[in-house]
Amino acid sequence: MTAIVIGASSGLGRALAVELARNGKPLLLVASDARDVDALAADLVLRHGVEVRTLAVDLAGEADPGARVLAALEGLPAAEALLLVAGTSRGDDDLSLGAGAIGQLLAINLHAPLAIAHALVPRLLGTRGVIVGFGSVAAARGRGRNVVYAAAKRGLDTFFESLRQRFHPRELRVQFHRLGFLRSNLTWGMKLPLPAAAPEEVARRVVGALGRGSFARHEPRHWGLVAFVLRRLPWFLFRRLKD
Amino acid sequence: MSALRGFALAARELRSFDRSAVAHCQVQRPDRYRALEALPADAPRIARGGGVSYVGASFDAGSLVQDLAAFDRMLAFDETRGLVTVEAGARIGDVVRFALSRGWLLPVVPGHARATIGGCIAADVHGKNPAREGSFRDHVVGLELFDPLAGWLAASAHENPERFAACFAGFGIAGLIGNATLRLVRAPTAYVVRRVPVADLVEAAAVLQAHAGAPLLYGWHDGRARRFGRGVIRFGLEAQEAPRMQPLADLPQAVSPWPFRAWNAAGIAALNTWIRHRWCRPGSSNVDVVSALFPLNGARAYYAGFGTAGFAEAQWLIPHERHTDFAGALGDLVASSRPRISLVASKLFDGEATGFSFNGRGIAYAIQCPEPAASAQRAFLEALAELALGHGGRPNLIKDSTLDAAVVRRAWPDFEARRAALRAHDPHGLQQSVLTRRLAL
Repeated sequence: MTAIVIGASSGLGRALAVELARNGKPLLLVASDARDVDALAADLVLRHGVEVRTLAVDLAGEADPGARVLAALEGLPAAEALLLVAGTSRGDDDLSLGAGAIGQLLAINLHAPLAIAHALVPRLLGTRGVIVGFGSVAAARGRGRNVVYAAAKRGLDTFFESLRQRFHPRELRVQFHRLGFLRSNLTWGMKLPLPAAAPEEVARRVVGALGRGSFARHEPRHWGLVAFVLRRLPWFLFRRLKD
Repeated sequence: MSALRGFALAARELRSFDRSAVAHCQVQRPDRYRALEALPADAPRIARGGGVSYVGASFDAGSLVQDLAAFDRMLAFDETRGLVTVEAGARIGDVVRFALSRGWLLPVVPGHARATIGGCIAADVHGKNPAREGSFRDHVVGLELFDPLAGWLAASAHENPERFAACFAGFGIAGLIGNATLRLVRAPTAYVVRRVPVADLVEAAAVLQAHAGAPLLYGWHDGRARRFGRGVIRFGLEAQEAPRMQPLADLPQAVSPWPFRAWNAAGIAALNTWIRHRWCRPGSSNVDVVSALFPLNGARAYYAGFGTAGFAEAQWLIPHERHTDFAGALGDLVASSRPRISLVASKLFDGEATGFSFNGRGIAYAIQCPEPAASAQRAFLEALAELALGHGGRPNLIKDSTLDAAVVRRAWPDFEARRAALRAHDPHGLQQSVLTRRLAL
């Protein structure tokens, strides 16, 4: 049955697509630039012999991305897994953004995942499938950086909590991974206070957990401790944090 | 770092494989096509593939380095005609293993499996028998490249043919290579490699020419003064029976040097004695295809043994008609200057010297020297260049980090015309590397 990766062009999304193809899953790969997902699809077909379809959607500008995804699924085996990994951040997300930039961040990080999930959940219920969301440790506590991004990711976290509350794991497995630092273009060149994980390693664990019920957890797992400490830092210390 | 995603730059210290060049660079690692296109059109830049060149061909302190590691996907494969289209960042070892799994072979590959397709094109590398298989350009059907001003262009022998030709040994100047379609040949099961001992370089040349049609053909020679040129020619023929041994892992992109230099006089003597006892006698052995194509996979300790001072590899192609004189004069030079030479390798060439490609008709020698900055070693390499130039030799620009702009201009009397033809595809001189700057390309 088909797995859908929203945001498959690079980073964790690309690694998830590779891992799913290695497991023999038919795929629908969605990203904003057809060149990226078409190249990835060709590679996965040649290396792993799986069926792969691609869809180019601008999540920041598409009014109803869920409908586009549903249409692209036509003719593929029934949808069993939806992985909503698309996301974006900006270095100037520090309370200086204009309305357009705020809307773009909210569209990609919150509106599009919610819209696609709303459209796909009935299909996933039909196959007793799994929906997977990806949050960020940046949303553990609001700071003066990644302001809109963190707000969107916390909103996504709440949405997945709603899904978990609404559906029993026997109906729909709802999994939410709050990501720590990953080695990707988002962190390339940044001085990070903790090591970044390889997307391929994270993808292996995420795909390995697809059959394991509903949960929300940090990935890599030690970021749970980091988030715990961060949330409990006294205010006078927290407000002095630079990174 | 810019605020926009796709423009992220990281400060990195990059070093050539021979440790001759090092620079603090701004490195972009695009992971999507839009990011690859995102640099300002007037930004000096250079594409970086595996980062395994000996001459700093993929970085420079003044250029934005575009690391193409993410562009490593197979785009198409025609199993009937043996055509494979791959992105330029695909490693040659991965492409070879992919082709072999489907019964096909890329007949020209460099020794380092982590070189990329784009790098092989930009360097126009040669393989294990250039006299039979030519150079990399002979196996590329077409490609797509990114010009900072004009955008994406398709190039082949029929479409933008001048741009296509300029990509080979163009050292990145002709544009950033995005993908290429390669022509494959049917793969053998394995090779049987036969050994013919030779007493000197003149005998070696005769043996090389006698086996010009073999798929694998190269020689190893002792570089020490009193034994100079003694060695073995190895030629490989297709075999039906594969050996049971597992191929070694690919040589890493960078080999950490040992804290001491193993290739001093005693170390070189021990190395040569071991090789002579191991290989310099008649015989044959079956070798799997990957091991035959990538012999450097077994040479990690050899490269580490150069220590932090690194090494230099001079490569010169000597025309047949001057070879005997050259071989004698080289022996005399080694006897008089007694350099430390850790390896001498020989190959037969039978092609056309196009652009700055390392090709022509003659015998090529690769001579590796430890500690090239030492005055005696530097003097030998300079004398070797004079000797080779005096015998009509052509240097391999992508191998020899000791060459300077004056020497290469003497090797190509029409150097400026060739340079101008290449730079015509980069009129603003945006594509710059340590190599292009050193040679004033």
